Amino acid sequence: MSPDGVGQGGGQGVGASLLRKEDARFLHGRGRYVGDIRPAGLLEVAFLRSPVAHARLLGVGKPADAEARVFTMADLAGVGGIRAASALPGFRVSEQSVLASGKLRYVGEAIAACVASSRAAAEDLAAACSLDYEELPVVSDMLTARAPGAPLIHEHWPDNAFLETQRDEDLSDLDGIAAAKVTRQLRTARQCMVPMEGRGVLAEWDPRLEQLVVTSSTQQPHIIRSGLSEVLGLDEGSIRVIAPDLGGGFGYKGILLPEEIACAWLAMRLERPVRWIEDRLEHLTANANCREHHYVVTAWADRNGRLLGAEVDATVDSGAYSSYPFSACLEAAQIGSIFPGPYTLPRFRFRTVSACTNKPPILPYRGVARTGVCYALETTMDALARQLGISPARIREVNLVPPDAMPYRNLVGKVFDSGDYPEALRRAVAHFDLDRIAARQAAGECVGFGLAVFCEQGAHGTSVYHGWGIPFVPGYEQAMARFTPDGVLEIRTGLQNHGQGMETTFAQVAHEVLGVPAARVRVVHGDTALTPYSTGTWGSRAAVMGGGAVAEACRLLGERALAIGASLLQAEPGGVEISGGAVRRRDGGAEVTLEEVARTWYRRPQNLPRGVDPGGLEVTGGYRPDPDTGTHSYACHAVVARVDTETGEVVLEDYVIVEDAGQMLNPMIVDGQVLGGLAQGVGTALYEEMPFDASGQPLAGTLADYLVPGAAELPATRIDHMETPSPWTRFGQKGIGESGAIGPPAAIVNAVNDALHRFGAEVMDLPASPARVIEALEKARAR
Amino acid sequence: MTRLPIHLTVNGEAAEVLAEPRTHLADLLRGELLLTGTHLGCEHGVCGACTVELDDAPARSCITHAGACDGARIRTIEGFAGDAVMEALRGAFTAEHALQCGYCTPGMLITARDIVLRLPDADEVRVREELSGNLCRCTGYRGIVRAVLRVLEARRALKG
Repeated sequence: MSPDGVGQGGGQGVGASLLRKEDARFLHGRGRYVGDIRPAGLLEVAFLRSPVAHARLLGVGKPADAEARVFTMADLAGVGGIRAASALPGFRVSEQSVLASGKLRYVGEAIAACVASSRAAAEDLAAACSLDYEELPVVSDMLTARAPGAPLIHEHWPDNAFLETQRDEDLSDLDGIAAAKVTRQLRTARQCMVPMEGRGVLAEWDPRLEQLVVTSSTQQPHIIRSGLSEVLGLDEGSIRVIAPDLGGGFGYKGILLPEEIACAWLAMRLERPVRWIEDRLEHLTANANCREHHYVVTAWADRNGRLLGAEVDATVDSGAYSSYPFSACLEAAQIGSIFPGPYTLPRFRFRTVSACTNKPPILPYRGVARTGVCYALETTMDALARQLGISPARIREVNLVPPDAMPYRNLVGKVFDSGDYPEALRRAVAHFDLDRIAARQAAGECVGFGLAVFCEQGAHGTSVYHGWGIPFVPGYEQAMARFTPDGVLEIRTGLQNHGQGMETTFAQVAHEVLGVPAARVRVVHGDTALTPYSTGTWGSRAAVMGGGAVAEACRLLGERALAIGASLLQAEPGGVEISGGAVRRRDGGAEVTLEEVARTWYRRPQNLPRGVDPGGLEVTGGYRPDPDTGTHSYACHAVVARVDTETGEVVLEDYVIVEDAGQMLNPMIVDGQVLGGLAQGVGTALYEEMPFDASGQPLAGTLADYLVPGAAELPATRIDHMETPSPWTRFGQKGIGESGAIGPPAAIVNAVNDALHRFGAEVMDLPASPARVIEALEKARAR
Repeated sequence: MTRLPIHLTVNGEAAEVLAEPRTHLADLLRGELLLTGTHLGCEHGVCGACTVELDDAPARSCITHAGACDGARIRTIEGFAGDAVMEALRGAFTAEHALQCGYCTPGMLITARDIVLRLPDADEVRVREELSGNLCRCTGYRGIVRAVLRVLEARRALKG
């Protein structure tokens, strides 16, 4: 490390691997997470939660000596339900009571808020409550949710589905002309997202400002403010949402929480600060809320491997309610539009179902539906290749969108902005000695090679989201930029840093535009009172949207500074420019630093030119890419896996990721995103699973039962960057935050199945745990 | 509930606190002593976020009863000022991008320091094994492993 904090990339602007400005506080234990904040008079909440998956709630018995400290929905006067509708035709809207009322619809649903001076005492209170309920038959599996006679979770609905979508196309002739046809049934497990810090909320009423102040571990403070306003009936101006340091998010903190609403109401009612901190048991059992998909895929190809068509019938277990703001249908409904993947698929038919079950409400987890879709599509590609006797690389090569077709609009209207997909594939394959792997296989080793190619739409905006009709639509992203009187550049953004390093990357963008040293740039975020509105950090959008907005705000601020600087230099505005943190005469003469410009505006206004913009050195810039259909980063994952046929254990020997994030703002941080995503993808592929029994009980209550990868489980990994700029974004950058988590299940299971091929065995369901590998081998032996 | 007096030395300073018998050490450190650098990730001894030094060895403060710590010496992430190994690790963690959200970092650093001091000859496989009691959900561990190895190698080079 060099003393100025510059990494191997050199410089401080866009493209430099600048070391992170935010690290120091975390390395000294000075990060400030919601659980670290303890105002005087703090009350803590424990929630009494449903022990059953489906029941009629008949009553809650409050402990006789503590009735005033236990609150049920009957107490929460004036509080509305959570409604997250989608405007997609046929969407059925659920109403989630903040605390359960009338019915219990999943294990862990909050029923009562128990308030005490410590969490332990609040838990004692919850344990002392009694519950009266009448159990109902449970819908524990998405595939039987719509079976005739299935119990109805929302009784006024005709069946247990939030939404069904489809695209029809007659594919009946393909059987007659295709050289290969495969049909496969695949399933992915329900997962927990497991940020190391769970959710948490601290609510206070500020009597001076007459304002509810909610400090929450959220990725979307401005959206939470809107949601609280709707449910609590307060105007948005009387709510301030603060997001402090977040101990990870991954989508888990992109939701308006019932707990948030309950704490806010309690803080106003009790006139005391009220806090709830999620514990790991609550996370695992009440919030197993992502990734559970089922697919039936049929695909046809000609003898060269060219895809002739595909059909997919997909079901997503969306759980019991529609979560605010992303809704219960985002995941399933997008399967239709992303299933064609990075290929030039000519014909396509799909049906998707967002099934309603007695499980926690679904949330979009890093990669959203793409991880499941990539798994379904890419394992199908390998099956086709096997049937045709061609290599996995070959079948992909002939179907990938070629670079000369970019920008490419596929048959469902997705527009890919730029890139060379086949080159990513070639580069990834070139890292491996495939002959050596074949030789090891011939020698009897159970080893295999797997590939997955995919693209990731990120930073998609208004033109995409208005069609979903969910509670928010992202529009222009704004950033504020201003100089303090001593010349520090303050950047304010409504995006939320939860590990992505925005305090560094946005400082780099500011440096790129104004030349102010990154150390003199402060990025302020995480507070609706201090930042412009934003839909927050989700959908791999911060680098594109925030990068563009910060650049635009800095450009506008630069114009203001230029006018003042020109006057101080006694030059025409056209005769000066900003570079290196100063206004300089273009003729190479004098310069005046931006610090001096700031000092002039604030402290020496007598030196300002006549006609100076009275708006001063504080601006808001807005940005939206045009078109705003999203960037498409893409990647090829390639892996060598070894399978122990006795134990079923899968060992990843070598892993290569070739990826293209366009112009990287900070390559070190891009690598960090890719590697972190990979670890989560390896978890999806091999370890992570929250099983539910037939009565809807979650069966993994600790991190010793729900296995997330540790350091020893992860393979040696090489990342190879391509950098094809997006033609549509400010610096050519593309969203890459989710990419790493998309490819691993497909690539790894393809490698596992390549290894198992000589036994005639094939793993279909995720995770490819030892039990599933052994089961696949046994099934093959029995045939 | 009964509260028992507990005497301990925390980050070099004597402390006397009252705690319920069921209180775990992490809650005591975070609540009574305001040492919020010690984080809670699972409260059942798996994730390692709450790792502190207890009588010179790493311990999980979430499954350590506070009452069992009477007379003990505790060091938390706030207590390593001037410690050369910790300083080197902090620099290496930044240089290798070994942290993102920062939540696992204090526990990770205390475990890493123990590895560096206890296993001066550790290679990558060993470092990964030794880190298996500390979960990180952001980084994929590569930066963490490289940071520990960087410090180990620097110390080995120093010894010649």
